[in-house]
Amino acid sequence: MQTETQNQTEVVPTSAPMTGSNRNKVQALATRYGIVIAFFLLCVVLSFLNKYFLTTGNVVNILQQTSINGILALGMTLVILTGGIDLSVGSVMAISSMVAATFVSGDHPRSLWLVVPLGLSVGAFLGFINGLTVAYLKVPSFVATLGMLSVARGITYAYTDGQPVPNLSDTFLSLGEGTVLGVPLPIVVLAVLFGFLWWVLTHTTYGRSIYAVGGNVRSARAAGISTKRITASVYIFSGALAAMGGLVLAARTSAALPQAGVGYELDAIAAVVIGGTSLTGGVGSAAGTLLGALIIGTINNGLDILGVSSAYQQIVKGAIIIVAVLLDYSRHSNE
Amino acid sequence: MLKKMIAVGLCALSTSAGAQAAEKTKVGAAPYGLRAEFANLWVAALKKHPEVTSGKVELTVFDGRYDAVVQNNQIATMITQHFDAIEMIPVDFNGSAPQMKKAKAANIPVVISNSRVNSPDIVSTIECDDVKAGEIIMEAAAKKMGGKGNVVVFQGPIGSAGELDRSKGVKSVLAKYPDIKVLEMKTANWSRAEGLALMENWLTAHPNQINGIIGENDEMALGAIQAVKSHGLNPKDFAIVGVDGVVDAINAVKAGEMFSILQDAEGQAQGGLDLVLHAKLGDSYTPKANVWKQWEKEMPWDGGKGKEYLIPWTVITQANADQIIQHQKDLMSK
Repeated sequence: MQTETQNQTEVVPTSAPMTGSNRNKVQALATRYGIVIAFFLLCVVLSFLNKYFLTTGNVVNILQQTSINGILALGMTLVILTGGIDLSVGSVMAISSMVAATFVSGDHPRSLWLVVPLGLSVGAFLGFINGLTVAYLKVPSFVATLGMLSVARGITYAYTDGQPVPNLSDTFLSLGEGTVLGVPLPIVVLAVLFGFLWWVLTHTTYGRSIYAVGGNVRSARAAGISTKRITASVYIFSGALAAMGGLVLAARTSAALPQAGVGYELDAIAAVVIGGTSLTGGVGSAAGTLLGALIIGTINNGLDILGVSSAYQQIVKGAIIIVAVLLDYSRHSNE
Repeated sequence: MLKKMIAVGLCALSTSAGAQAAEKTKVGAAPYGLRAEFANLWVAALKKHPEVTSGKVELTVFDGRYDAVVQNNQIATMITQHFDAIEMIPVDFNGSAPQMKKAKAANIPVVISNSRVNSPDIVSTIECDDVKAGEIIMEAAAKKMGGKGNVVVFQGPIGSAGELDRSKGVKSVLAKYPDIKVLEMKTANWSRAEGLALMENWLTAHPNQINGIIGENDEMALGAIQAVKSHGLNPKDFAIVGVDGVVDAINAVKAGEMFSILQDAEGQAQGGLDLVLHAKLGDSYTPKANVWKQWEKEMPWDGGKGKEYLIPWTVITQANADQIIQHQKDLMSK
C-alpha cells in the first residue's frame, strides 16, 4: 500500500491509493492528462484570441491573481481528501488579516516575523476549533464550518466596528508587492506552500494517513491510524493557509478590509474539484488543485482581457465545475 | 464593541421599561447593514445628534444585514412596538413599499436617508445625488485628461440603485466629450480586491492606452491604484477618480493619486433625523443638524416640507483632507 501511494508521483488525481490496480493507473493517467490538456487548450485558444495573453506581464498577472485562491485551495484539498469540507476559509482569512494588520498599522509597526506567525496562529486556532468540532464532537464538517463562517465573520466586524485597517507598514505591503529574484512574493508563497503540501501528501506517513482516512475510515483505524487526530489536523492546516491568503490579500489591497474574502470558499472548493479531488475523499492531489486554481484564474483573466461581461464569466466557471464533477463521477462508476 | 452593544441594549431596555418612556420620542434607525464603513459612520453620527445625546430621543438601531426581507421584518417590529418615527437606508429600491404603506397607516413617519425607495408613503428623502456624483467625477477626469484619451469604468453591482445613477451621470458627461473613448466598462462589485484584478487585466489588454480610471466608488478606484503601482506605473500619470470619501481614498487624495468626493454620512443621518422628528412633532420642532447651516443656500430646510433633499457633494482636497479624517474619527469615538 505504501509503495503504491508513493508511486502516485507529482501529478494529479490518482485513483484511490488503497485499491490500486493497473486499470486504475491507466484511468489515473487519462484524468491527469485530461486536466493538463484542458488547461493547455484554454491557453492556446486565449493566446489566439488576444495577442497580450501570452506576454510575461500577463502570465505574472494570472499567477498573482491565482495565488490567493491557490493558497486557500491547497488547505481545502487536505480537508476534502479526508472527506470533509471547510466553508469557513473566507471568514477566517478576514479575521486573521484584520488581527495581523492592527499590529502593522500606524506609527509603530511590528516586525513581519511577529505579525505573520500571529496571523497564521489566529487562522490555525479557528481551524483547530473546526477540527475539534468535526472529529471529536462528530458535527458534520459542512455544519461545523458553516457555523464558523458566520462566527468568524461576526468577530471580524465586531473587532473594528466594521472599519478597515489601513496605513499598513511598507514591510507588510511587500507581502503583496515585493519580489524575490523578480518573482512577486504572492507567487513565491504559493509555490513554496504547494511544494510543501505536495511533499507532505506524497512522501510522508502523515500524508498517506490523510488519504487513508478519506478512503476508508474503518480500515484506516484498523491499520492503526488515529483517524480523529488526522481529521482534526487538516482543519488546522486549512485555517492557517486561509490566514496566509488573508495576509497576502490585505497586502495586495493595502488595507485589511472586514468584508474581504466573502464567498472565497466557493472558488477554493471549485479549484479543488476541477483539480480532480473527489468530494467523497481519498482521491486527489496538490498538483491537481494547483491546476484547478490556475484554470479558474486563467478563465477570469482571459475573459477580462477579451472584454467579456462578468455575467458570462460566472456562467463559464459554473459550467466547468459541473463538468469536472461529472468526470469525477464517471471515473468512480468505472471503478 | 460587543460590550458596547450589550450596554446599549441594556440601556434601551431599562429606559423603555422606565416610567418616563412616554415622554421620549422612540426612533428606529434601520441602515441596510452594519458591515460598511459608511453605515457605521452613519449610525455614529445619529448617536451624536443633539436630540439623542440630550435624551429626548430614544434611538434603537436595527442591522438590515443587506437583506430586504430582514429589513422589512424589522420595520414590522417597529410598527408593532409603536415606535414614533423611522429613519432608514433601504436595502433595495423596490423591496420595502408594502412596509412603508403599513407604517403610514400606523401613523409612523418614515424618512429615507442615503438612498431612495419606490413608495409614495414616505415623508421625504435626504441623500447625495448619485447622478450628480457620476457627473462630477467624470468631469474631473475629463478635465485632467484635457478632454481626450481613453478611459476604463468600474461600475457598481449591475442594477443596484447606486450603479444605475452613477453610471447615468458618467455616461451623460462622456457624451459631451467625443474625444474620450471608453475602452472597458465593467462591474467590480464595489470591491477593492475585484477592482485590483480587473485593472491588472485591463492594463494587460490595453498597454499604454489607458489615460483615465473611473471608479463609481472609492474602493474600486483604490484597487485600480494598487494595480497601477504593481505594474510599475505612477498613479499620478492617470486621471483616477472615485466617490464616497473613505479613509484610504482621502489619504490617496492627499498623496495626489486620485480625485474623490465626500458622501456626507453625518448630514444624511442627522438631517434625516431632523426631518422625521419634524414630521412627528410638528412645526414646533426646529432642526438641529449642522448640515442645514452648512448648505443653507443649496439645500434650504424649507419648513421641513420638502420631498427630496439633496446634500451637495464635497470635493476632497489636499487642504480639507486632514480635517475630514479628524472629523470622522471624532464621530466614531464615544
